[in-house]
Amino acid sequence: MIKILYFGRLRENAGRREETLALPQGIASVSTLKNWLNTEHELDGALDDPSVKTMVNQALVHDDVTLDGDEEIGFLPPVGGG
Amino acid sequence: MIRVLGTSFNPTAALDEFTKYNCDAGAITSFLGQVRNEYGSVQELYLESYPGVTEDGILDAVANAKVHWKLTDVMVIHRIGAMGVGEPIVLVAIAAKHRRAAFEACDYLMDYLKTEAVFWKRQTGANGTEWIEPRAEDYKDNKRWSTS
Repeated sequence: MIKILYFGRLRENAGRREETLALPQGIASVSTLKNWLNTEHELDGALDDPSVKTMVNQALVHDDVTLDGDEEIGFLPPVGGG
Repeated sequence: MIRVLGTSFNPTAALDEFTKYNCDAGAITSFLGQVRNEYGSVQELYLESYPGVTEDGILDAVANAKVHWKLTDVMVIHRIGAMGVGEPIVLVAIAAKHRRAAFEACDYLMDYLKTEAVFWKRQTGANGTEWIEPRAEDYKDNKRWSTS
């Protein structure tokens, strides 16, 4: 199972703070997962915003990173500072 | 010591404890940030973190500070969750042998916390609710340390 975390304004876009799900069939990378989530949650391309960073198991990654199906994936909009 | 807290804290008590623990340090500086009134337009500030990632980032910044300055001890306490006007958001305290290192390290860590730390900030007030990003001045302040 993958655990997906949405932070900041993305939480409001997705309508949830987190979700746990099996990697959908045919989804094997961050890029394809983002496309699938954009459609599934009607995010209107929010995850494609170049300012949104992706972390897999708490490490920053590029979109071409492959997924095994047991990762924690975080979507991070620009930080706001403390 | 760093703490990211979901509940309010007493900065006076925390600083008192830090000072007593570092009673042999020659200099202690501190910075307390609290929720601004903004002429009555702010009702609530909400901060969110990425548990683990946020703490690791602060620890890296503290480690960098210890490379640049000779420090005896560092304390960072940062709130997350909902806060009202006047509530403490962040407390940074530095203990060092001499004042210059204590002043500069405190300044450096606050610039990190204001621009790079992994927090998301939402403000609710007279203009509704909006997610806040660092100001241009915050980025400018933080750039001061890029060559030091």
